[in-house]
Amino acid sequence: MSLKKSTVRRFLASGAALALAVSGVIVSATAPANAAPTTGGTLYYFTHQEQFDHVDPQRVYVGRDIAFFNSYLYRNLVMYKPVTGPAGSSLVGDLATNTGVPSNKAKTWKFTLRPGVTWEDGSAITCADVKYGISRTFAQDVITDGPTYAITMLDIPAGKYKGPYSKEGQDLYDKAVTCSKDNRTVTFNLSRSVADFNYAMTYPAFSPVKATKDTGDKYDLRPFASGPYKLDTYNINDEMHLVRNPNWKKASDPNRNPYPDDIRVRFGVAEDLRDSIFTDDSIKNAVNLDGLKPVANKAFFANPANADRRLNVYDPYVRYGAMNVSAGKMDCLEVRQAVFFAINTQALIDLSGGREFYGDPGDNPVKPVLGLDYAPTTGNIHDPAWKITGNPDKAKELLATAKTKCPTTYDKATNPAKGITYDLSNTATNQKASVLIKDALTLAGINVKFNFIPSGQYYSTIGDTTKQSDISAAGWGADWANASTVIPELFTKEGGANYTQNWNDPAYAAFKAKSDKALAETDRKKQAAMWKELSQYVMDQYWIIRPIFSKGQFVWNSGVGGVGYWEPQGNFLFTAIYVK
Amino acid sequence: MLKYIGRRVAYTLAILVLISLVVYLIFDVLPMDPARLTCGKTCRPDVVEANRHRLGLDVSVWQQWWRFIVGLFKGRDYAEGVAAFHCPAPSFGYSFNRHECVSKLIGQAFPVTFSLALGAFVMWLALGVSLGVWAARNKGKFVDRASTTFVLVGTSLPTFISGILILLFIVVKFNLVSPIDLGKWHNPFTDPFGWIKTFFFPCLTLALAYAASYTRFTRSNVIETTAEDFIRTAKAKGLSARTIMRKHTLRAALAPIVTIAGLDFAGLLGGAIITEGIFNLPGLGRLSIRAVLQDYDLPVIVATTLLAAAFVVFMNLIVDILYAFIDPRVRVA
Repeated sequence: MSLKKSTVRRFLASGAALALAVSGVIVSATAPANAAPTTGGTLYYFTHQEQFDHVDPQRVYVGRDIAFFNSYLYRNLVMYKPVTGPAGSSLVGDLATNTGVPSNKAKTWKFTLRPGVTWEDGSAITCADVKYGISRTFAQDVITDGPTYAITMLDIPAGKYKGPYSKEGQDLYDKAVTCSKDNRTVTFNLSRSVADFNYAMTYPAFSPVKATKDTGDKYDLRPFASGPYKLDTYNINDEMHLVRNPNWKKASDPNRNPYPDDIRVRFGVAEDLRDSIFTDDSIKNAVNLDGLKPVANKAFFANPANADRRLNVYDPYVRYGAMNVSAGKMDCLEVRQAVFFAINTQALIDLSGGREFYGDPGDNPVKPVLGLDYAPTTGNIHDPAWKITGNPDKAKELLATAKTKCPTTYDKATNPAKGITYDLSNTATNQKASVLIKDALTLAGINVKFNFIPSGQYYSTIGDTTKQSDISAAGWGADWANASTVIPELFTKEGGANYTQNWNDPAYAAFKAKSDKALAETDRKKQAAMWKELSQYVMDQYWIIRPIFSKGQFVWNSGVGGVGYWEPQGNFLFTAIYVK
Repeated sequence: MLKYIGRRVAYTLAILVLISLVVYLIFDVLPMDPARLTCGKTCRPDVVEANRHRLGLDVSVWQQWWRFIVGLFKGRDYAEGVAAFHCPAPSFGYSFNRHECVSKLIGQAFPVTFSLALGAFVMWLALGVSLGVWAARNKGKFVDRASTTFVLVGTSLPTFISGILILLFIVVKFNLVSPIDLGKWHNPFTDPFGWIKTFFFPCLTLALAYAASYTRFTRSNVIETTAEDFIRTAKAKGLSARTIMRKHTLRAALAPIVTIAGLDFAGLLGGAIITEGIFNLPGLGRLSIRAVLQDYDLPVIVATTLLAAAFVVFMNLIVDILYAFIDPRVRVA
């Protein structure tokens, strides 16, 4: 998913479902206290946001919200093991008895429901409920914003099924998803082999919905619960109140631990007030759903007294500059390289909190936390000529080559009357970053202008091929522990977040063929080798520059226990949190 | 007189219709695409078009506007099958970002904004006018100089500073309102104490800024009026200073202030964005600013704009009518 900073709400956190397969993700954190968890009390969450982007399971695509609702409100067929550390990246059965049974070269997947799983009204959760819930994703005119893996993976011709409201193409869906006679086993027939299909099942988009309780768009305000809590009230701009679901049974859900009696999420809290609640530890049983503002964050982490109520971790995202390599834009490799070598990366990192809080220079579109699919690339930041503070002399050398090899692009980059245009979302930090970028590029003789786009419409603007400029700041996180949710998404024409417009690049055809081959590969090790090769390809082409492996900080107050980081979800391990 | 009022009401309604049309036209020419914004990360052209249809943006701006006008009288239907629902008249449309009929959203936000505006209005009039009169009566003395300092501080301190200061260093520091309860709506008729607890400090924040201006207006108006011939005449007649102030000076000096206060009050009813934001109040200001800056939620933008315009226009109407009662020459004009 693409990057969502605080002002770009839509995409950022949706990268949450990242299976972090390696250890050492936590940069600095305290181990949860060994005290036994206690049951009871009210747990408060505070956020500056006015609401959750979505609550409807088929529409939730923000990592934090996926982790939150998967822990409290609804259940999926499978889930990530609710433990901290690398073990949390493994799958366990949730509503299903196991993590799925593939057959037919992973083109068919079966999941059988546990006995005794129920809705909040005590009625049984059935295969028909699972089938109905997933079908809602196809109603793209009502169920918006959610992940569309069901649409791209199930064996249904594109656009032929319109979802359960219009029922157009229903017969196609009924063939792709079938239920056993006892209504407990669901079978998915896929259009291609998908070895990691069960990872997609961790998304609430694949969770059941009871058809008689479906209210279409309004389901986003009051979903029917299958988890240990149910919605009591949800008032946007005010509060969400979760109370215990009396029909939830631990016997049918060994994974969740509903410790607090009730949970209240307070929305729209002014940032200064929110920060004071946590710096002063004024409301003991409170957890911050956001980060702190930079100054407060730095002070909080500098104070050793706060050591047992904070986490500083590598988040699931890679932030980068996407080169628009279409004709007339950044279609010259040497000019792209020149921009890369000229930029002062250190200054940009320092601007956003330094390496301690913002992140480290990266060498790859795939983050090391993906483990199997990551390997250090060559070139780029490993090039002996690269300097973290910028190397204008190397940039000038590259421009000299470009002058003869691609004079038009060279002229565009260096002519004071022309110049390259850099897309940035219009935030105070980016306004300052633009000055740093301009200073660095000017030293190398590159003329740059900036296109500041309102944050709310940033990704929709750069996603429009007619409106994107020469370079666009962007970010992405894997949906699960497979670069299949990174490389094809970012660098193929069919990808949902390709901001490089690389499909006319001479280097594209070979890349696309390899990407398609990797997607179809069912041997995970062979597939990983292919992703590594493709990552190197991307970096060699400088389709993206300056990747940053970013970090995130989490804080809570002293009356809360059991707080840990759920690596695959990129957020709190909500189900372990209790009130002391 | 009735003819005059009828003419003014018709004129007011025409303005509101025109404003609604202008908002639709502005929205139409702006380079934003709400359909693309709501269709998620895998935004295919067919999905964008489906969303455009869902949002009602797939027809001309004139048709969109006409649907809006018709919806005001007949209500509107949305979606199909089990997802279908109806927004009853007067329907301002449906917010797909908030999942509610806009009329309901307005109904929830208006009491909050009205409480804030009314409380602030009472505070700033009480504080500003009394301080202004006191300063005028003690021109050049300590009270006058102190009021001048208050005016300087009040007018130069923006609400986003004073609000944060009041919130962090008074409300939170002395635990006067728990952050958990901040901004919670309490019905003033069933829970007046809770209502006061929620609104006292936000009202104070707004009132401080306005009171400074009103102190200055009142002081200068009272001083000017005191120098008028009819005051001198009153003194010559032997009336007491208190009677002159109450019956002559204040009545003349406060008339323009009441007019300005009415318009300021009407303006605040459209929403006090900053104060609502600081104190977590879910009022019209926050509803509208989010619709404009974040969601591009046309039905909410139109409704809140019309509402804000209606308050100002109707307050103007009331002032005009009052003037017509006061001054017969206006009726003739």
